[in-house]
Amino acid sequence: MKRGVRIVDLGGAHAVILHRPHPVVAALSRQLLAVGLRVTTHWPGLEAEALAADFVFFDADMGFDEQFPWQPGLAPMPLIALIGSEAPGRIEWALSMGATAQILKPVGDSGVYSALLIARNAFEARRALSAEVDDLKQKIGERQTVVRAVVMLIEQTGTEAAAYSMLRREAMNARISLEEAAARMLARASRPRDRRPHGGAV
Amino acid sequence: MLRTNPAKRRVASKPDPIPSLLEDFGRAFLFEGPVKTSVSVGILYSRSGSYARISDACRTGALNAIVEINADPTRSISFVAIERDPAGDVDHYGPLCEEILRDTPARHIIGCVTSWSRKEVIPTLEKSGGTLWYTVPYEGFEASDHVVYLHACPNQHLLPLLDWTFPAYGRRGYLTGSNYIWGWEMNRLAREIIHTAGGEVVGERYLPIGSVDIDRMIEEVRATEPDFILNSLIGPSSYAFLKAYAALGAKDPRFSPARRPVLSCNLTECELADIGEAAEGLIAAGPYFHDGTQTFASSHEAAANRAVHALADLLEPTPQDAGEPIAVLLKTSAGQQSGIDAKTHHIPQPVLISIVQNGAFKVVHSGGLVAGDPYLTQPVLAPPRRLRVVS
Repeated sequence: MKRGVRIVDLGGAHAVILHRPHPVVAALSRQLLAVGLRVTTHWPGLEAEALAADFVFFDADMGFDEQFPWQPGLAPMPLIALIGSEAPGRIEWALSMGATAQILKPVGDSGVYSALLIARNAFEARRALSAEVDDLKQKIGERQTVVRAVVMLIEQTGTEAAAYSMLRREAMNARISLEEAAARMLARASRPRDRRPHGGAV
Repeated sequence: MLRTNPAKRRVASKPDPIPSLLEDFGRAFLFEGPVKTSVSVGILYSRSGSYARISDACRTGALNAIVEINADPTRSISFVAIERDPAGDVDHYGPLCEEILRDTPARHIIGCVTSWSRKEVIPTLEKSGGTLWYTVPYEGFEASDHVVYLHACPNQHLLPLLDWTFPAYGRRGYLTGSNYIWGWEMNRLAREIIHTAGGEVVGERYLPIGSVDIDRMIEEVRATEPDFILNSLIGPSSYAFLKAYAALGAKDPRFSPARRPVLSCNLTECELADIGEAAEGLIAAGPYFHDGTQTFASSHEAAANRAVHALADLLEPTPQDAGEPIAVLLKTSAGQQSGIDAKTHHIPQPVLISIVQNGAFKVVHSGGLVAGDPYLTQPVLAPPRRLRVVS
């Protein structure tokens, strides 16, 4: 019964701190250990094991693109910026890396737990949104396929409405998307005539 | 001229010095005690206000412990209490904590009852490197580097209490609380635990601290007939609720404590007298209950007493380090033996569940010693499975 209450994914989760040796690292580590995470610290570069980390805290003051084994904005885990100087350029850079939460330096006695939860929430929301955008982009790309299939079917059915409903019926029968059905019908039509199936029998 | 060695001269004039040296030694150590290093300790408990009973219990525990330490000839330190009284006003805690740390040598403060007041003093402690020894149950989700938590947190009170309650009474709960962080967080956790267990929260209501306006709560309880009521009210609100619920139970057997009990994670012996007979049948979780023979009247008193003794143990080897932050003290060998977790500053607590019977708590379940897990991130050890003997 405790599964829903205990935040087991934070307990034992791996947090990486990308910061030069500094009291900030000690204060941050203390808070992370108290919450129940494992902590490793790196500087200046993130090693390969960091790819498997659950959270990365990085220095926004002295950080640079080449420290990270991924392209800016494409981190596979939530990033939390450690901000000392609030210079606009540095904040801009931290945002370009994809930080979804921040902690101001000097790091005191609190702030880590809320940063973990906020960063993770924003990271997951962003990931869900970008998956949805990818899906929509693919659909838009396939719109031309649908148009071509409808144009082709007008030759058989005579009207655009009838062509469209034929395409929709095909998609429903095969339990596939309209776009997939269109691609399938176009592929079938482009095959040599003698190898074309007739009335479902091959 | 040859100078005579004074010691030898003394030996020469007093042929047998040993008995007198022993006598000096004895007088110094046995009768007057060795010279103790004096260490100032802040005491920050409200002597009045809506939770004064709890403050008093804690204060008694702390002050008695100071007397014990000071009277103990084997101790190399003695404590001087520096007391400030916030009088139950949350806005007085921060300034008074600052006053102790700024104007006196004290770096350790035993005090605070509400979580609200604890959160008020933490920034001050952080600034001055001071330490708060906190001796009442709280709602968890905190592990300040400047606080030692000596009473239970939810995995040591609420979770085992609901675990025990569900099979005994059911999973439909009504949640009450005073309108501040203790009530909010306790009820949030309870809601999650109840939902995860497939139960139902039939109602949830809060009262401002000090308010006794409990009619609506009682009416809702009567209408919803929950299996249990989780009471995270404090002080007079709690007493008024318990009295009204007992009156309801006396009129209508459907609400007898044996059928639909009230649960509490913060009620101890120090408040039983204020509630009187209305406390009968109340079920409480805590690390300590007075069985009539032990030293401390309540877990609050026991925790505060333990705080002072733990501090004395930490400082005993190096009293000159009394000004060091708690994080430094916990790294010493005395710190490692203290039982205080260096990561979270919580301590293992016995998990006890007890029922009020004839004006006293009677322990009905013991869940053993459980380490503090303030963020509920540690895996729970599965309880030992009872195996059926197959013959």
